[in-house]
Amino acid sequence: MNDALRRYPALRAWLLLAPSFLWLLLFFIIPLGIIVVYSFLQRDVYGGVIWEWTLDNYRRVFDPLYFKTFLYSLWIAFLTAFFSLLFGYPLAYFIATRPERIRNALVLALMIPFWTNFLVRTYAWLTLLRTNTGLINVWLMQWGIIDKPLPLFGNTFAITLGLVYGWMPDMILPIYAALEQIDHRLLEAAEDLYASGWQVFRRVIWPLSLPGVVAGTMLVFIPSLGAFVTPAILGGGKRLMIGNVITNQFLGAHDWPFGSALSVLMMAVMLLATLVYFRTGGERAGQGGL
Amino acid sequence: MSDASIPAVELRDVVKRFDDVVAVDHVSLQIAPGEFFALLGPSGSGKTTTLRMIGGFELPTEGEVFIEGEPQGYKPPYQRPVNTVFQNYALFPHMTVAQNIAFGLEMRGVPKDEIRRRVGEMLDLVRLSGYEKRRPHQLSGGEQQRVALARALINQPKVLLLDEPLGALDLKLRKAMQLELKAIQEQVGITFVYVTHDQEEAITMADRIAVMNHGRVLQVGPPPEVYEQPHTLFVADFIGETNFIPVEVLRVGATVEVLTAGGARLQAGWAEPSLNAGASAMAAVRPERMRLYRPNAAPEGRSWNRVEGIVRHVIYHGLDIRYEIHLAGGCSLHVRLPVGHPEAGAFQRGEHVIVVWPSEATRVFRRDS
Repeated sequence: MNDALRRYPALRAWLLLAPSFLWLLLFFIIPLGIIVVYSFLQRDVYGGVIWEWTLDNYRRVFDPLYFKTFLYSLWIAFLTAFFSLLFGYPLAYFIATRPERIRNALVLALMIPFWTNFLVRTYAWLTLLRTNTGLINVWLMQWGIIDKPLPLFGNTFAITLGLVYGWMPDMILPIYAALEQIDHRLLEAAEDLYASGWQVFRRVIWPLSLPGVVAGTMLVFIPSLGAFVTPAILGGGKRLMIGNVITNQFLGAHDWPFGSALSVLMMAVMLLATLVYFRTGGERAGQGGL
Repeated sequence: MSDASIPAVELRDVVKRFDDVVAVDHVSLQIAPGEFFALLGPSGSGKTTTLRMIGGFELPTEGEVFIEGEPQGYKPPYQRPVNTVFQNYALFPHMTVAQNIAFGLEMRGVPKDEIRRRVGEMLDLVRLSGYEKRRPHQLSGGEQQRVALARALINQPKVLLLDEPLGALDLKLRKAMQLELKAIQEQVGITFVYVTHDQEEAITMADRIAVMNHGRVLQVGPPPEVYEQPHTLFVADFIGETNFIPVEVLRVGATVEVLTAGGARLQAGWAEPSLNAGASAMAAVRPERMRLYRPNAAPEGRSWNRVEGIVRHVIYHGLDIRYEIHLAGGCSLHVRLPVGHPEAGAFQRGEHVIVVWPSEATRVFRRDS
């Protein structure tokens, strides 16, 4: 056995990879295949499927009712990525420019919220944002700053806030990693060559941090597009995202074929977005790399 | 434009402290317009900090930096009429060669046509025409070095600061670039302040050298002067190769006389002024000034120093043959005889020899200097 492994290094590699392959096959590829197949089948009134091929599910996806939800989800995902970048970049820059000891402590601090379950943290936002009993509105009214509760809950603001809060670290970490690698002498060189602070940022720091920005944006955009916990809780049942519709098709309406079709479409959009984004953004970012 | 009587760069009693570490300790220097000036010293000697204070990347804790007679005060780098070639070049990796070189002019809002013309001229100057579209990572070390030089020179600075610009190159390329840099400097006529730890590089290229150690300037002068007339033990040791012989001072004044541990009396051309008779000191002689003779054949007279020794090693070096000679007092000397010299290969290991050198080539230093 040992001799055979020595003689065929490729065999050894396959054996080492086998557990991972098995795992991916059982829990990723096969379920994905089931979803794709189901999306072309018909619904059974009792929650199962009828094995007759149809494209009806995909036709229904473009029903304005669902398609609007889909566009709304894209909008939310875009807002989430945008605000995560807007607030995350300065923070990443701040961390990357601290002395090493402080840097590590700050990165650790960034991870601490992850020690608490995401669901629990989202409910915590609920107690802050709720329209009549939420702490923010209650306090603001007690102090006489406002007369009526602010619309902090059950809307785009609440969902975006919850998602930005949840995914911000995924934006910060890759940007931080990119910024940290920038040779400090490049900034001195730019300064020596008459660049102002803003020009140093725009011409040197920003382009060199683009790989981090591209990675961070994708890491935030994709999970936001498919989010369902945050809109379910902070949307207050009034604003739905595509994730909620899909959940509902599987758990509420027992329409698995239609839920599958929605999932396939969402994955296709994500794949397309990723490819386009990495092609364009990656090219610009790649100018600095190999 | 530049008045020859006003130094291009002047440092007046400049001190730089980082917390409680004194990096630069009361340094005063005057660098003439058009001069190729080298700051030479081991790492941690304060040479790079001195350069960074001229460039404005560090500010002096005490003292003042003048450029063409103007005090620089707290001016940031981009307000000073100097540009820098950084160690490891610091080329912008996301820009092409042409974009790198154009950067300074672009930042100052020079019209596009003029930028294109001047980038072309610079590429000619550093012999990189046709490389406009390449990126730094596609260039060899020597080519990157030339881009860094062009990127700085295009701004027509009054003074160009170079921080170990050839440090990352291999020996052969470094030698070629030394000559090229020197030629470019003569062509553009800009004052170069050049930081290096390589004494050979400083001697080859510079008009004048300032030798630094522990934040102080120990000696300033043209290369032959610094090489032949070092003022301190450190300078004698750091620049070139030197034989040191522990001695006791017998007499100072018009003639200097010392006694070796082996009992030989030596005459010296110069002794450090603070040395008195009876002091313990170091006599220094360059290996190439020494000659070897068989006993009886050695020249006599007051103008020659003579010590007896035994040949321990004979090493062939191509250009010369190096002998290691053990002296009676326990120290050893290195002697170089050029290949082709009548006695070059004449001595065998274990042979008794007399080492002879001119008295005036002997310099006597304090041991702690």
